[in-house]
Amino acid sequence: MFAEENKWTTKHISELEMIYVIDNPNQGMWHAFQLMDPEDDAHSVELTQFKEQFKSHLSELIRHVSVKIKKHTDEAVWIRIAWGDSYSRPNHLKPTYVVHYLQTPYVFVTSLTSKQKPLLSQALVLSTRHHAIKDANLSGKKFTAIRDLLMRQYQQAFPTKYPSPLKEKNQTVSNPLIEREQAGPAANRLQMACEAFGDGMLPQLQSAVYKLETKFRDQTNKTMTEREESFRCVVKFASTNLLESLRDCASSGIASTPVTPLLSSIPLKGRNYFVITDNSPGPSSQMHQKTDG
Amino acid sequence: MERQHNSVVRTPLNSVVVQRRSKSKSYRQSYRSCLGAASRLGLTPALTARRLNTSRRAPKSHNITDKVDPEQLTLLLKTEWKLSYVTPLYQFRHTQLKSYSRQLSAFIAAEKQQGLAVDAEGSQSSFRVSFSVVQGMTETADDAETVLIQIHSKPMFAKQDDPQKLVWSGWLACINGNPDYLSSLSKDFICLPLFGSSGPEVLTTLVKSWFQQMFDCCFGPLEISHTSLQWLVALWTNCHTESNIQHLRMIWTLPVTPPLQITYTVDAQDAWELWSSVRKDPEEESEGGEEVEEGGSIDLKEVMRFMQGLKNHFYRHFRLDLSAGSLQQVSTALGSAKYSGRIKVSSDGKNCSQSFSQDTFLLTHTRKDKCCTNIFFLSF
Repeated sequence: MFAEENKWTTKHISELEMIYVIDNPNQGMWHAFQLMDPEDDAHSVELTQFKEQFKSHLSELIRHVSVKIKKHTDEAVWIRIAWGDSYSRPNHLKPTYVVHYLQTPYVFVTSLTSKQKPLLSQALVLSTRHHAIKDANLSGKKFTAIRDLLMRQYQQAFPTKYPSPLKEKNQTVSNPLIEREQAGPAANRLQMACEAFGDGMLPQLQSAVYKLETKFRDQTNKTMTEREESFRCVVKFASTNLLESLRDCASSGIASTPVTPLLSSIPLKGRNYFVITDNSPGPSSQMHQKTDG
Repeated sequence: MERQHNSVVRTPLNSVVVQRRSKSKSYRQSYRSCLGAASRLGLTPALTARRLNTSRRAPKSHNITDKVDPEQLTLLLKTEWKLSYVTPLYQFRHTQLKSYSRQLSAFIAAEKQQGLAVDAEGSQSSFRVSFSVVQGMTETADDAETVLIQIHSKPMFAKQDDPQKLVWSGWLACINGNPDYLSSLSKDFICLPLFGSSGPEVLTTLVKSWFQQMFDCCFGPLEISHTSLQWLVALWTNCHTESNIQHLRMIWTLPVTPPLQITYTVDAQDAWELWSSVRKDPEEESEGGEEVEEGGSIDLKEVMRFMQGLKNHFYRHFRLDLSAGSLQQVSTALGSAKYSGRIKVSSDGKNCSQSFSQDTFLLTHTRKDKCCTNIFFLSF
């Protein structure tokens, strides 16, 4: 009787916790993944089938595990996993949360350890009828931001001709002649900034990291330019809203336009971790991206 | 910082004018010495341009533990210090430290009595202050010995051997002070122009108040200018062959909305190779190249070329000019320095005598008064 009461309490608490997390998802650290190589019937996997398959596959992989699946109003499937092992019951104090949008390749995960990762990957791949899952190189504290970024759910500016010259947001009083002269280039910059990063409200991404493994090229420095080895460095951009900051850099002229593909790849590819190498032989004016396995 | 707007003419260029209260015969001299300025190696014309150091001696590696007690040294290392400048102290005596300890303790206790909240634990503890001398940090014969101040919290009902917690520490130092200036001071004054503090702000304020009352001096904020930070980028990289800097990390901020912070971390070896490549004069390279003199002087031009190289590499990838932003912080395994006037000197902690051999620290303190340009070169 006592044991039954306990079980019921745990169930109740984990239910409440899950509701709370779904309503307040912008906590902890979320990582995005992408499912690869779908089977022919991957596109027709629907909720009931997914739920059954996922629970069954995960239970086969690990003896003691507690899985709860909820479908949210916006087509998101939320999964809460409390992990145990061969000897111990599931630990409800450190659950993993997974969000998957059915019939898309996107999966978002928080609080997953490296030991748990292969088990979750396997269960996801099998239940969604894909062959592999890879790191999407996108992470952040705000779930909604990385979801919107990856799934393109925000206002994007398409390259069109605006009917009238764009006005800058904060107009300072200045020489009308200078203004007229600068209006063209300023409008141009703003246009390109919006094309690269988006218009209006942008998903609140906090950071982007670039691992640079490219050669040092500088006309003024013969010694370094002749060097064979790459100039290794890591650059991290951080802001309360990174995309807005970058857009402001471009429209204000701090970043030269057109915006470099390294920066515009953040919204374009929906990722914020990049390893950049020189892929073409000889001096290159454009960087090539190496996608991480 | 005290700023009194009275009949005294306000001097331009970020100077602080403070009326001295003591009317001793050295009034004029002490008045001049009060014309402090928040340190800024800015692009000011003629007056300061002359004094801008365009070249510095590359720091010699020497074993600091030969001069300074290692135990005392560990108190100064691995802590982030907030820097201030101090005007000369009137009738400060290194022989009176025990008395100062008692007096400062009493001062803090009195302030507490008056209701000033000095600690988080409420009125459970009292404070024990100790002044001590850290000998051996001076560089010239004119430098006064460094004074270390520590405040321990003493639980009210503790037993004799209960450990006391160090809650605040600070120091006053003069290292490589300008000899002309130092000799121009009257004998009643001791010059310890650099003050570092670490701990709760309320205690820092109390200590400063006490000093101001006791020795008729003024404290002011010390920022580490962009130029100084750039010097550190180069000087620390220069140390790499003697002491592994592990990485060269620079933090810039860009004035966009919302503000953007860029952390640019360069591999230590690659940074060093770039640094040594700019040390050769590019025009003379075609003549077969010059051997870089070991331990020779470093020119500001070399520092600027190094910075430009780093910025160019960045621009090539991101088409973003870092010159549009401001350099806020530099750090390596040897230490860190922030624009806001915070410094930390680290060590790799393995072996006392080895780890402190090449940590170097540079601070430039410019004053409006022509006579007193002090470059403090702290070598740890």
